[in-house]
Amino acid sequence: MSESYKHILVFRSNIQTERDKCRVGIALDNHPLIEKWGVDLDDDERILRVVSYKLSQQHIMDIVSRCGYTCEELKD
Amino acid sequence: MRTRNVDKVALVKRKAMEMAVSDGLEGFSVNKLAKACGISVATLYIYYRDKNDLITQIALEEGKRMGSIVLKDFNPELPFAEGLRMQWKNRAKHMMENPVTMLFFEQLRSSSYHETAITALTADFKEIMGKFVKNAVERGEINKMPVEVYWSIAFAPLYALIRFHNEGWNLAGKSFTVSEKILWQTFELVLKALKP
Repeated sequence: MSESYKHILVFRSNIQTERDKCRVGIALDNHPLIEKWGVDLDDDERILRVVSYKLSQQHIMDIVSRCGYTCEELKD
Repeated sequence: MRTRNVDKVALVKRKAMEMAVSDGLEGFSVNKLAKACGISVATLYIYYRDKNDLITQIALEEGKRMGSIVLKDFNPELPFAEGLRMQWKNRAKHMMENPVTMLFFEQLRSSSYHETAITALTADFKEIMGKFVKNAVERGEINKMPVEVYWSIAFAPLYALIRFHNEGWNLAGKSFTVSEKILWQTFELVLKALKP
C-alpha cells in the first residue's frame, strides 16, 4: 500500500536559529497556499519542510530567498 | 513518485531505536538516520516533520504495541494472583522479544522526551491496570498502598530479572539466563509480599 506525497517539499537550508526561523516564518505563515511548514534545527542540514498542494520547489526557494536566506531542494 | 512504503517505515523505526540506544538521543539526527537506513533524507522528511516528530511517533506506536501485548487475554476482573501472573507472563514476553524497545524507552525517560515516554502508554492501558488493582483492594486480596509502592513490589523484580537476562549477566558479572523456574520463584515471593 502506498500513497503519493508530492505535496511535501523538502529542502536543505541555512536557517540556523530560532530567530532565523521567525524571520522566514513571517513569509511562510502568511502565504495562503502553504498548509504547513517547519525547520528541523536539530539537523545538520537545517531541513525546511513545506506542505503545499499548489506551490513548486522554485516558489518556495524564491520566498525563502526574499527573506534573506537560501534553500536547496533535496531529491528523494 | 514519492510514496510511503510500509517496509521502509518499519526499517526506519527499527534503526531509529537502535541509533537512539547506541548513540543517545541528543546526538541523534534525521540525517544520520537516513544514512543508516540507506534512504534519502528527503524521503525521511516526507514521513516525519522533524526529529521531535519522529521520536514522538515511534514512542507512541511502540507504547501502543506494548499495551496490546501486555493486555492480551487480560481482564481486570481476574482474581489478583491469576491476573498478576498473566501480567508477568505477557510483560516478560514483550521485554524478552523487544530488548531494543525497552532500552529506547529508558533513553526517553532520562532525556527531554520524558513526558513522551509517559504519554506513550494509552489511557486504556492505565485505566485497565488501575481497575485491576482497585478490584484487588476491594476484594481484600491486597492492601491499599501508594501506586509507586505497588509497582515497585509487583513489577520491579520482573524488570530487574529480564534486564539481567537481556544483558546476559547478573550484578556479579556472572552469565545469566532467566528460566521459568527463576521467573515463577520470584513471582511467588512477590505475591507473598503483596498479601495482606
